[in-house]
Amino acid sequence: MLKEPIKLNMNEVAYPPSKEIIETARKSLMDLNRYSDPEDMERLLGLLADYSGVPKNHIIQSPGSDLLLREIIHTYSKGRKIVIVSPSFFPTVQAAKQFATKLISIRLSPPDFDLNPDLLLDQLNEPCLVILDNPNNPTGKILLDRKMVGSLVDHRDVLIVVDEAYYEFSGISFADMVQEHPNLAITRTMDKAFSLAGARIGYMIAGEAFFDAFSSFHMILPRPGLFAAIQALKDPDYMRRNVCRVIAERERVWNALNDNLAVQVYKSMTNFLLIKTDVPDIVGKLADIGILISDLSNQLSSGFIRVSIGNREENDAFITGYMKIRETCSQKKF
Amino acid sequence: MKKRAKFFHQDRDVEKADIDMKRKIGLIVNPVAGMGGSVGLKGTDGEIYKKALALGAKPVTPERTQDVLSHIRHNESITLFVAPGKMGERYIRRNDMPYRVIGTVARETSKEDTKRISAKMLNNGIELLVFVGGDGTARDIYDSINSKIPVVAVPGGVKVFSSVFAVSARAAAEMIETFVESTDVIEEEVLDIDEDAFREGNLASRLYGYLLVPNVKKLLQGAKEASVISGSSVEWKKELATYTVEEMDKRVLYLLGPGTTLKAIADELGAPKTLLGIDAIFEGKSVGADLNEKGILELFDKYEKRKIILTPIGGNGFILGRGSKQFTPEVIKQVDRENIMVVATRDKINRLDCLRVDTGDSDLDRLLSGYMEVTVGYKEKMMVKVRC
Repeated sequence: MLKEPIKLNMNEVAYPPSKEIIETARKSLMDLNRYSDPEDMERLLGLLADYSGVPKNHIIQSPGSDLLLREIIHTYSKGRKIVIVSPSFFPTVQAAKQFATKLISIRLSPPDFDLNPDLLLDQLNEPCLVILDNPNNPTGKILLDRKMVGSLVDHRDVLIVVDEAYYEFSGISFADMVQEHPNLAITRTMDKAFSLAGARIGYMIAGEAFFDAFSSFHMILPRPGLFAAIQALKDPDYMRRNVCRVIAERERVWNALNDNLAVQVYKSMTNFLLIKTDVPDIVGKLADIGILISDLSNQLSSGFIRVSIGNREENDAFITGYMKIRETCSQKKF
Repeated sequence: MKKRAKFFHQDRDVEKADIDMKRKIGLIVNPVAGMGGSVGLKGTDGEIYKKALALGAKPVTPERTQDVLSHIRHNESITLFVAPGKMGERYIRRNDMPYRVIGTVARETSKEDTKRISAKMLNNGIELLVFVGGDGTARDIYDSINSKIPVVAVPGGVKVFSSVFAVSARAAAEMIETFVESTDVIEEEVLDIDEDAFREGNLASRLYGYLLVPNVKKLLQGAKEASVISGSSVEWKKELATYTVEEMDKRVLYLLGPGTTLKAIADELGAPKTLLGIDAIFEGKSVGADLNEKGILELFDKYEKRKIILTPIGGNGFILGRGSKQFTPEVIKQVDRENIMVVATRDKINRLDCLRVDTGDSDLDRLLSGYMEVTVGYKEKMMVKVRC
């Protein structure tokens, strides 16, 4: 058992923030008795607008994008059918289940986990709020393309929210469509690619249809997180280098597992891999040797797990640990 | 064999007093389960066991049993009631848990031993029965104890398709520990797999019954995931039943398929329901119980508007063709696809890759394929793929 567990269960990025980010956040602690200044909030807003390529008035900041998603669902659930996919980002599912007066989940089925566009469009025959994570968590798959989003936003009674939490890894975004299509909103987070999971900075790039409902949504961001985010956006290349490292590691892990034919590993556009394994209770067995991964048995059929991409050493520990456990299980088989 | 009933502690009085405080857990091992697997035989039912032996098959359940016992951490809270010899006692001796042997067995064991000894353990007041075996063993246990007490099913057989089985020996140990601390239970399915068909490469199964198992929540997930699922299987079924009954049309004849989810609907209406049969409801009242095809078609002569309500079999997802053969192609054609309603708890549907149909009529199966709306909660539906 390792002293510190290897955390491959929360889709965090293994690489820490830059020294400059840590130093800026540390300095902000000196004023921890004070709320964040509106000027600093405004500064972050400007940086997020530049980074996203939209005017500032389209950006809504929040401590975490899951809070935004919850607020969207809470606000629009009355009088609207909510349409989501299953499996999906768990806090979205949770909020939809809690607030929806009518909820439709479209099941993504193995082996391809594709979203059937016709099935989704068929649901838009009444006022709807559609929330889709793109890429999808936990499958890692891209569900939407521009044509599909174009078809969705053409329905005027429908609000479309695309959760782009893993945008930096996929490189696919519909943020540029927001100004033209008022019923479209994009949610994003700095938790993942920016290595700021502990800072909890999320934001929404909202079309005009969302402005009224969110006009009073002024969340004061925690001071250290705010300053960390400002510094991170001043030097996005640091994030981009880390994203490249994660993607290279993701492909290495994919190849290592796939070459061994020990498991079915799904192609991913995120910083995690969806895996179907035949090893019973692999989550518990890996936890026993200090490696934490996600058990998806309450979202998908048995044997599905989700593994975040860590640094090289962590990924090697996972691959070796997995292979050893599988070998032991094969020997015990009859 | 001489009847044995002894406590393996020096101070019997103390031990007897302890037993009252401890949870009484039975253990039965099917010593021949799983032996067919290594020699390419799918199962050890009947004469196949002898063939497996001749091919050099080795017992596999002893190791599984010891694996379970070694993972139980709080064994001071448990007193085991074990079957004799190779059906349990032999493996427990290496463990320091107090135990008592129940019943007797001959040199060659059979399913009658499993049934007899489990019934005897029940009479001795066990609160939970742990058994190691396959689908056949699960059926024997079901025949003997039904839903009187919960079980922990340890996969040891060649065929372990029933959802009643724990995913591993370690998970089984965890279920036992959960039971020691809490008595929350859920129902899981016992399937009857046709061994002859299975050997030919066909998976022909039918629903045999339900056993109760300790309700174990997944404890090993990340915090975000773990926080979502709340409530119990019973509550979810009640929620489904409430919504389904609210949506029922009094002018429509409803045919309720087998399963406890549909029994919950009948319970909500206050109508009787045969657990494994097809029952008919009209205006909220029972108009037919345990119907066969003929009985269903006779009802169709009286009622013009009809709907079928089904729930998938856990593990394989069949909604038609397994466990409800009374819904023949003729019956289904007279109802139409859009009048087939599927209900299932979110938990159950999430564990399925898809829904399946196998009515015996391939054209009809193709017609039923595609996506189907499944009610998974109150005003909550999921579009799920149906394959044939």
